Amino acid sequence: MSTRRIFLRDSAIVLAGIGAVPSWLARAATLADQNGGDQRRKVLVAIFMRGAADGLNIVVPFSERRYHELRPTLRIAAPTRKVAASDSGRDNRFSNEAIDLDGTFALHGALQPLKPLWDKGQLAIVEATGSPDSSRSHFDAQDFMESGTTSKNLGDGWLNRALPPATDGTSPLRAVTLGNQVAHTLRGEREVIAIGNAQQFNLGNSEATSILESMYNSSNDPLWGRTGRNAFEVMKIMDSINRDSYSPQDGEYNQGGQLGRSLQQLARLIKANVGVEAAFAEIDGWDHHGNEGPQLSERLRQFSSALSAFSQDMGDRMEDIVIITMSEFGRTVEENGDAGTDHGHGSLMMVLGGPVKGGKVYGKWPGLEKEQLFEGRDLAVTTDYRDVLGELVREHMGQKDLDSVFPGFKAGDPLGLLRV
Amino acid sequence: MRRLLLTILISSLFVCGVTLSGNTSDPFSQRLPEGKQIIHVLNRLAFGPRPGDEDAVRRMGVAKWIHLQLHPEEIPENPALEAKLKPLDTLRLSTADLMDNYFAPPQNMMMPMQRPQERLEDLLSQEDAQKVRLGTAEEREEILKSLEPEKRRKVLAALPPNVLKYIPEEYRKEAEAAQRAENEERSAEFRRQNPQLRDLLNPDQMEVTRSGTKEQLAALFAYLDPEKRPLVAGLLPPDRAADFPELRRQGELKRNPQQVVMDDHHEAKVLRAIYSSRQLQEVLVDFWFNHFNVDESKNIPRVGNVMHLLTATYERDAIRPHVFGHFKDLLLATAQHPAMLYYLDNWDSMAPGSFNVGPFAPDRRTVNGVPNSILPGPLARIAHGLNENYGREVMELHTLGVKGGYTQDDVIAVARCFTGWTVRDPQHPEFVFASFMHDTGEKTVLGHKIPAGGGEQDGLQVIDILAHHPSTARFISRELAQRFVADDPPPALVDRMAQTFTKTDGDLRAVMEVMFTSPEFMSEGAYEAKVKSPFEMVVSAVRAVGGETTNAYALVSKISELGEPLYDKLEPNGYPNTGDAWLSATGLMGRMNFSAALAYGMIPGVLPDSSRLDRKDPATIARDLLGHDASPETQAAIAKGLESPGESEAASDPVSPDGIASGHKGPAFITTLLLGSPDFQRR
Repeated sequence: MSTRRIFLRDSAIVLAGIGAVPSWLARAATLADQNGGDQRRKVLVAIFMRGAADGLNIVVPFSERRYHELRPTLRIAAPTRKVAASDSGRDNRFSNEAIDLDGTFALHGALQPLKPLWDKGQLAIVEATGSPDSSRSHFDAQDFMESGTTSKNLGDGWLNRALPPATDGTSPLRAVTLGNQVAHTLRGEREVIAIGNAQQFNLGNSEATSILESMYNSSNDPLWGRTGRNAFEVMKIMDSINRDSYSPQDGEYNQGGQLGRSLQQLARLIKANVGVEAAFAEIDGWDHHGNEGPQLSERLRQFSSALSAFSQDMGDRMEDIVIITMSEFGRTVEENGDAGTDHGHGSLMMVLGGPVKGGKVYGKWPGLEKEQLFEGRDLAVTTDYRDVLGELVREHMGQKDLDSVFPGFKAGDPLGLLRV
Repeated sequence: MRRLLLTILISSLFVCGVTLSGNTSDPFSQRLPEGKQIIHVLNRLAFGPRPGDEDAVRRMGVAKWIHLQLHPEEIPENPALEAKLKPLDTLRLSTADLMDNYFAPPQNMMMPMQRPQERLEDLLSQEDAQKVRLGTAEEREEILKSLEPEKRRKVLAALPPNVLKYIPEEYRKEAEAAQRAENEERSAEFRRQNPQLRDLLNPDQMEVTRSGTKEQLAALFAYLDPEKRPLVAGLLPPDRAADFPELRRQGELKRNPQQVVMDDHHEAKVLRAIYSSRQLQEVLVDFWFNHFNVDESKNIPRVGNVMHLLTATYERDAIRPHVFGHFKDLLLATAQHPAMLYYLDNWDSMAPGSFNVGPFAPDRRTVNGVPNSILPGPLARIAHGLNENYGREVMELHTLGVKGGYTQDDVIAVARCFTGWTVRDPQHPEFVFASFMHDTGEKTVLGHKIPAGGGEQDGLQVIDILAHHPSTARFISRELAQRFVADDPPPALVDRMAQTFTKTDGDLRAVMEVMFTSPEFMSEGAYEAKVKSPFEMVVSAVRAVGGETTNAYALVSKISELGEPLYDKLEPNGYPNTGDAWLSATGLMGRMNFSAALAYGMIPGVLPDSSRLDRKDPATIARDLLGHDASPETQAAIAKGLESPGESEAASDPVSPDGIASGHKGPAFITTLLLGSPDFQRR
């Protein structure tokens, strides 16, 4: 067995020397034969910016007088000149100058790597989004948003409920959290797996490995049994995928920090056609109560490098992929006493990918005058975050039963974010 | 399916309700048989059993043992632990001593020896530099053409990489050459200041550091010049350096003294968890630190990495003395410790609006009409108003809980009360009340009027209100029950604990006594209901195998690899307290890898004692390590694996790259399987 190799058509999987063939792989190979070998699937990638990212300094409403008044030290100056769409020779990565998008909004200078995606029409912004819930607690708001509710913490997450029921050919890697634990967004009834440090997927002792595998396969432990069964299946796949995994974007992924490494691993999985349908990654460190300027720039540099590297790495596979970013809430419009911002309300979401009708700022801008602010201090929410997610779940994942994904939510008018 | 889950949930609630009137189908009302009680208390009040622990508890009696654990002052500390902590001398230093001897302020942490790179702005006019950076290709080329060759070389050398991509071919070549030369010069200079291993060792010696045995490495150190030894030890990867704690420590003292303080603190935590006879105390220090979490790697603007040092004194001075005391004292100690003041930004929070330095002030250099220059150290800078961070988290996470009944107005009022609770200055991080930062106005906190002009008293009053609030009694009781009883603890138990909390003015020992003597704690519902966190898994495994841990440096990095690095949770909610967080493929694989490394003696500083397991059958080994029989499925998988020859090629595998021998199915092999089993992941 240890010299036996199994090749799955159209996939980068080569298995060697670690016990039995993953059962999913065998099933999928049969299925692929039946389907004429097409292994490409649509993928929805959710990226959570934990800590309440400051939407107003990420996509800057530079034409708002109040923005500049309320943020005397934190404000990002209006772009000095309009940047022509084709002028890619200019790179703001080392300056903080905002990048004009449409004469009203501008990207933070550290988001320069995303500008080409905007120009290609693969990046859309949805402004003034969020949850109607007014909790300014990180942990509650994250739980609610990941549950897909406004003020109720469900045990499972919206992206898990958006997945169709498993069939014979459903991969154990259909739903992947990039990180050490399954994120709330992906928790639930459907099989899901967390992949953090890929180095761990290599047990030195092959005999012990096969005994442990059979131990977990027969285990009645309601928690560890399932985790273990998935883990061994995935170990075999990971071993083959990561053996030969160079990509020209590896340098840029590195600049993307933890999110870069997560998306790098995700790209390998998608390119290997292992059946990924939904993925979750996160980037933390957005809770900038003090000295926000340099910290936000650094976060955004990582964020944009990671996304840019992923998009280039995936190449035309981006036609199958939609990425959605979110954060639990926004931050106060007025800066606080510490050159930072406190917990606020409305924020923004970014939608990236081949199917996206990008190059446009969606959503209704509520304004920043005192009477336009939520509770007199925060950006109002004019687009419920579930309107954005729901549209992607319906149009991209093909899940028409939105009530099971976002219980009790009545969707507003479609935004028209995707080419259909 | 979710409806089904809901039905189950509702029916189990119903069952709970029924049990109060005598029904015994609720697992929390089924009394744990005597035989299981010993391992249960060792898994909950301690970090799992060591060889011999069960006998000791049996001799003493479970109730007496619990009583003693609740009164650690009556338990003589293990002399072996004291000997192991002795060399970690930063554990005993005051904050002031640590600051004086181990702190590198931010400006010294940059590399002063490194020649600063020339910037375009130093070489060209502002306008030209801007054009080169951000202008069109034509503008850029025109400027480059106009320069003298020498100047041009310098400009080309200073071009950022993104610009480099967009200049004509000939210039690009020249620029690349110039940058290469520049880089070489710079890195040569850097290397002279910071020698690397290959600057200190010849190729053969390098090979020893990479793949030599511990003995070869020791011989190498003996051969080297004494002044080279710590330099080399400080440069080895953690798993290689772990066998030479003294040298590594000297090396770190030279290169990065703050690291020594962090390492001492990390190692001490692991050593105490393994060796302390006062096990409950160590469990509680872990629990309460996590409840009042701070992060050692938070960088404080203009102050630097002071959290590297303060995290250790925070645990020692603010957490540890109060874990058997009154909650209010614990809350106050954390509120006033500089680690918390820095971590949740309160040190920087000032009265809003009342200053002449608010965001809308014409001149930010005065505070209430006083020139800012008289303000001490860090305050003579941009701070000029309220920061809500601590005000919110002290209620949400430390006391009331998120549903504890506070509003955004309360958050602001609490933050205003705490204005002026700050630190003396960056070099002297000790609590002071700075009246000039305090908001002197009237506030209303959770319905309590706090009159104007209160000063430092305002914050103390808030501590008092929060510590005595009924939501706090309930929230803290539930958190404790979640750690010690079950992820979703029985509400009736939480209620009784909360009543005791209120009656005893938050006496934590009394609250725990109610919990540990409750039928719910000593029930089938609680038994093995908890999943071990990465820290608990590592420590309990080391305790189970017995033997000797001479230093815990390598164990600390193993805990990080499992996903929860010690003292390094960025967010203030701390690491999760419930099992679902740790169920992941990576995490489980990591646990199995760790199990193998530990069982085969591959973790530096840890010598497992497997001799006592020699020639024992798997069932006996399982009872020894787990404290009870392994599950039938686990036993069956091991029995089957041992009887079949398995893959014959694998049986004769040489030692793998990780050094774990295959083929010999002795105690280490069986230990690997048991520590990696689902059974061992629960407590």
